[in-house]
Amino acid sequence: MIDLLSYTCIGIGIFFSFWGTSHLLTQRSVLFKLHSLSVADTLGSMSIMFGLLLKRPREWPLLLLAIICLALWNTMLGYVLAYCASGEQKYE
Amino acid sequence: MNLFLIAMILALLIPIYDAWKNEDIWRRMLAFGSISTKAAITILFVSVLRDDWMIGIVGVMILTVGNAALMLLAQIIKRIGEA
Repeated sequence: MIDLLSYTCIGIGIFFSFWGTSHLLTQRSVLFKLHSLSVADTLGSMSIMFGLLLKRPREWPLLLLAIICLALWNTMLGYVLAYCASGEQKYE
Repeated sequence: MNLFLIAMILALLIPIYDAWKNEDIWRRMLAFGSISTKAAITILFVSVLRDDWMIGIVGVMILTVGNAALMLLAQIIKRIGEA
C-alpha cells in the first residue's frame, strides 16, 4: 500500500515537472514561464521528495531538509527573478 | 525506480536545451534555475536508490547554495543592466 502511494507521488511529481518545463519551449512572456516553472519545480519536486520519504523513512532528516529548502528557496528565487525580469517597468 | 530516474533525466534535458538555444538573459536565468533544482532532485533520488547519505547531502547543498547564488547573480545582472 505504502509502495503504491510512494510510486503515485513520484509519478505525479515527474508529470508536473514535464508539464511545467514544456512551457519553456513556447514563445510566451518570461513571467508566464516563471509562473509555470516555479509551480512545477516546487510542487513536483516536493511530491517526489514525499514519495521518497514514504519509501525510505529511515532518511527522514535529509529528505525533510530538502522539502523545507525547496519550499523556502524556490519561492524566494521566483520572486527575485520576477522582480529583476520586470524591473524596467515602473509602477507608480 | 530506474524508469523514474530515466524520466527525470529526460526532464532535465529540456531546460538544458532551452538555455543553449535562447539568447535572452532572463530566459537563460529561468532555465538555469530549473536545471539546478532538477539536478538536485535527481541527485537526491540517486542517493536514496543507492542508500548513500553522502550523495544526498551534496544534493541538499546544491538546493540551498545553488538557488541563493542564482538570486545574487540575478541582482548583479540587473544592476549591470541599469548602469
